[in-house]
Amino acid sequence: MSVELGIIAQQFVNGLTLGGMYALLALGYTLVYGILLMINFAHAEMFMFGAYVGLFTLQGLSRIEFFTSSGPALLLLYLLTFLIAMVATGILGVIIERFAYRPLRHAPRLAPLISAIGVSLFLQNAALLWISSRSLPFPVLFEVRTFRIGGASISSMQILIITVTILLMLVLDTFISRTRLGKSMRATSQDRETAGLMGIDINRVIALTFFIGPALGGAAGIFSGMYYGNIKYNMGFIPGIKAFTAAVVGGIGNLRGAMLGGFLIGLLESLAAAYISTGYKDVIAFVILIIVLIFKPGGLLGESVAEKV
Amino acid sequence: MSVAKSKRLFAIIAMLVMLAMVVTACGGNDGAENGGDNPGGDLVEVKIGVSSPFTGDVAALGTGIRNGAQLAIEEAAPELEEMGISLSMLAVDDAADPKTGVNAANQMVSDSAVVGIVAHLNSGVSIPASAVYNEAGVVQVSPASTNPALTLQGFENVFRVCTIDTVQGSFAAEYAYDELGFTSVAVIDDSTPYGEGLAAEFAAAFEAKGGEITSTDKIQVKDLDFTALVTKIRSANPDLIYFGGMYTEAALVSKQSKEAGFEGPVMGGDGLYTQQYIDIAGAANAEGDFATSIGLPLSEQPKGQEFQDMFEATFPGQTIEAYDTYAYDATMVVVEAIKAVAADLGADAVTSVAGKQAIIEAVAVTDMQGVTGNVSFDENGDTTNKAVTPYVVRDGAWVPYTD
Amino acid sequence: MGAVRNGLVAVNDFFSTRPGRIGFFFVLALITLFLPVFFQAAGNVFMVRIFALVGIYVLLALGLNIVVGYAGLLNLGYIAFYAVGAYAGMNLGFLMQELLVGLGFLGERPENWSYWVLLPFAAVPGVLAGIMIGAPVLRLRGDYLAIVTLGFGEIVRIAITNDIAGITNGASGLPGVGQSVAPVAGQMWVRENLSFGNFLFSKDLYWYYIIVALVLFAIFVITRLDNSRLGRAWVAMREDEVAASSVGVNILTTKLWAFALGAAWGGIAGHTYAYWVGFISPESFNFMESVLVVCMVVLGGMGSIPGTILGAVIITAAPEIIRVAATSPVFAGFLTPEQAALVGDYRFLIFGGLMVVMMALRPQGILPSKRRARELHPIDDTILAQENQQLWEAEHKHESDSDLL
Repeated sequence: MSVELGIIAQQFVNGLTLGGMYALLALGYTLVYGILLMINFAHAEMFMFGAYVGLFTLQGLSRIEFFTSSGPALLLLYLLTFLIAMVATGILGVIIERFAYRPLRHAPRLAPLISAIGVSLFLQNAALLWISSRSLPFPVLFEVRTFRIGGASISSMQILIITVTILLMLVLDTFISRTRLGKSMRATSQDRETAGLMGIDINRVIALTFFIGPALGGAAGIFSGMYYGNIKYNMGFIPGIKAFTAAVVGGIGNLRGAMLGGFLIGLLESLAAAYISTGYKDVIAFVILIIVLIFKPGGLLGESVAEKV
Repeated sequence: MSVAKSKRLFAIIAMLVMLAMVVTACGGNDGAENGGDNPGGDLVEVKIGVSSPFTGDVAALGTGIRNGAQLAIEEAAPELEEMGISLSMLAVDDAADPKTGVNAANQMVSDSAVVGIVAHLNSGVSIPASAVYNEAGVVQVSPASTNPALTLQGFENVFRVCTIDTVQGSFAAEYAYDELGFTSVAVIDDSTPYGEGLAAEFAAAFEAKGGEITSTDKIQVKDLDFTALVTKIRSANPDLIYFGGMYTEAALVSKQSKEAGFEGPVMGGDGLYTQQYIDIAGAANAEGDFATSIGLPLSEQPKGQEFQDMFEATFPGQTIEAYDTYAYDATMVVVEAIKAVAADLGADAVTSVAGKQAIIEAVAVTDMQGVTGNVSFDENGDTTNKAVTPYVVRDGAWVPYTD
Repeated sequence: MGAVRNGLVAVNDFFSTRPGRIGFFFVLALITLFLPVFFQAAGNVFMVRIFALVGIYVLLALGLNIVVGYAGLLNLGYIAFYAVGAYAGMNLGFLMQELLVGLGFLGERPENWSYWVLLPFAAVPGVLAGIMIGAPVLRLRGDYLAIVTLGFGEIVRIAITNDIAGITNGASGLPGVGQSVAPVAGQMWVRENLSFGNFLFSKDLYWYYIIVALVLFAIFVITRLDNSRLGRAWVAMREDEVAASSVGVNILTTKLWAFALGAAWGGIAGHTYAYWVGFISPESFNFMESVLVVCMVVLGGMGSIPGTILGAVIITAAPEIIRVAATSPVFAGFLTPEQAALVGDYRFLIFGGLMVVMMALRPQGILPSKRRARELHPIDDTILAQENQQLWEAEHKHESDSDLL
């Protein structure tokens, strides 16, 4: 019996780890949607880009002996890797916004979506052609321990991912709700025009949004690389769809909704794969989405907003 | 108003003119009319069409096929030149997608100089494309499509040099049960014709032997997270996980199952037999995993070393993938048939309709010593070489398994 | 430069005249009808096939245009209807063939009538699927509807992959071992009677003409729809749901009609594709296909039939043509075979970049519908400014009028 319970506990941890990555990625969708009302289809590629930058940084820095000499130095190495990858991905996000989306700000609603799909195709193929068509192994430089509690095997990697994810979310939440910049982001998302009239530099706020979202997505990408041990040019596609689903389930435009949605989808997906059917696990995620939207058309934490295509 | 309208019309016209110019250029891509401006002068231009995924998930295996075919063509070209034929390769990407694959097939057979096709990695692409080759009367030799249905369509022009899933799946089941002593297994497939077919054959044969199947599951290609699945498998605790599919997902299953505390090995078919598998899973996790692959190991064949030398000379820095040698053999089968027909009917006749038919007949009676072993075909067009070799991961590399 | 501009103006002038326009459509008709014959005669089956494939996507794009362009509902799972049409067509065809053989209707050489017999009903599975999917979720707005349709599209694909109800043969596709799709009736007849000399009336050419006929039929029906009461209701609803419902438009049924009528063309296209290619598998119906069809509609110009057709032509043909053109003798002079192969590999990169550039240059699409172009976009400053100007003028005119009185 306790083995049974242990297995269930392990499935929960599996689901939370997966959900943490979805949640980080979902934040990017929801941030951009909240401010520009557009589905940033290229956001999935931020996940991929962050993972590649993370890999190359890790490979480059680990050649310097100092970083692998002691525990604290290793920690510094990983902190640097995350920092560099997140900043690089954030900058890429800002560049994409500047060249692919800003010219379309007054265009019909679907035009930025198509532009985003174009960016996504471009980035995916760029990684395929200029880096590699193969899966690249993602090294883990520290020892991953597996803790056995009852029947459950939980790895230190899972604990690390869940902890850091929650930490990043707390930082973001504080930033949005407590700081001046966060306040201007909230104002812009409520009413762009009025916010502009109140002296908020809209372009700067949008650029900031396109920095934060991709930076978090990039971090999720590194986690994915560390957790699954490999990265590939098209690795963003499936998590991208799931994270977008998660953002909608939580109530798109709502940050806490995206976090809740991410963890919920990850958890349900794991439980469905374990106890219903692996073949149909994605169906179950979408069925949950449909049920939630039928009963709560604005998502779990969102409000219903009138808009049109 | 009328200005806007005429502008729009102008845009359409401009588009159409551009389109027409480009497609007319393609229309000129016909062997007959530009045969004259060959550098070879009087040589008859003959091409072998090669198609596999050069882009996408399994591009590593697909470009390997192109490499193998290129080696064979480069090796055979001087001899054919003496017979009055200039041989070259027409390589087209099928992106591992049936629709692109059928387009590629049509593109190749539209070139009348193409007299043979070495094509398609994925059975799901080979099956619809074979109908195109059949209609065009061009021989197809697949280096890697192992689903039995391919050669059961009644097409006389379809052959393959790789062992079908029925043989490989049941061999693996018997080997796992009799030689390795596994009595219970969890079966996973990747929802592709290849993986599904292989896993089904394995499961049927394993049960027939008296083994127990603890679970069967389907996963999707491109999925990364199998932790829920392997945790579930671990709770049933079978001796072995059998995976029908390609290396990426298989390696993730291996890695995640071991991290979830599963103690048995993972076993699979020729789709796992590549260094990439070990790189992705991590050498420690992959240690002790099994794969079956057809033919004898490269190192044990008389021409194996030769192939390796040739490969390293032509493609320095690249590794030999699972199907490179099959692609080489498949291409050589077509080359031998071209030689036979050229000797019989003359070099000019090779690209004619009768010549292509003669090539199909010549391929059917192939009997040659290839890199993967003796190559000949049965009445369906399947290889008679049914040798399957089990491999195991030892110290981070695949080695032939010996007790 | 000036000469070029003068030339363009001259061409423009020519096309704005009536004979010019008639001439243009005449040339277009000639190209559509006879260019594939020319390719066939040159032995280039590949181009014939690309023409037919473009036709299938034109059908799909026209169908989706009803939903996205006319009714303003974003559907990201449109390919599900295409899949339903294809699988229903194949399975019903097998059943019918068995029935006919069982009853002894088919003689020595069985002709496959399934395609033709089922064609009038081909829209039915699509429409049913459209209603089933649409009814529960059409209450949702905008992007919520988009993600739900995406979910439905994936559900359909996954169900097919898992061999639902034992009729899809899972990943291996249809026909499975033991089943076969015989050449469709008529195909053999044209091959035997309309081929002469080197020209073979091939299977792909036969299907090309069927598809062209279907596209013409679709254009006819959709034009009629656009000008019907329902078409007006779609426009009204797309502009402003609340206002539309207050003047008596039933929003739910109007949306459902758009969904069902859009799905109908997906079903017909699927049915035709299945019998043309003779093989279907779940890989052909993935999310990317749905996305590409949406791109066709938006790139070409939402709500515009010529635009949608042009979008479908560009998106379907462009990657293939980039690939083939690179290896054609025209470029042989300045591209080595290796470089040509590289261009082939780069086709999607180029294509993705082109999509971004196209949208930046013409966000309303290449050939936007006139009606949609005039629409009020709340965030469009120029239109707002115009409106304000008009209002101001109207008010002041009123003032001056009253002064006179």
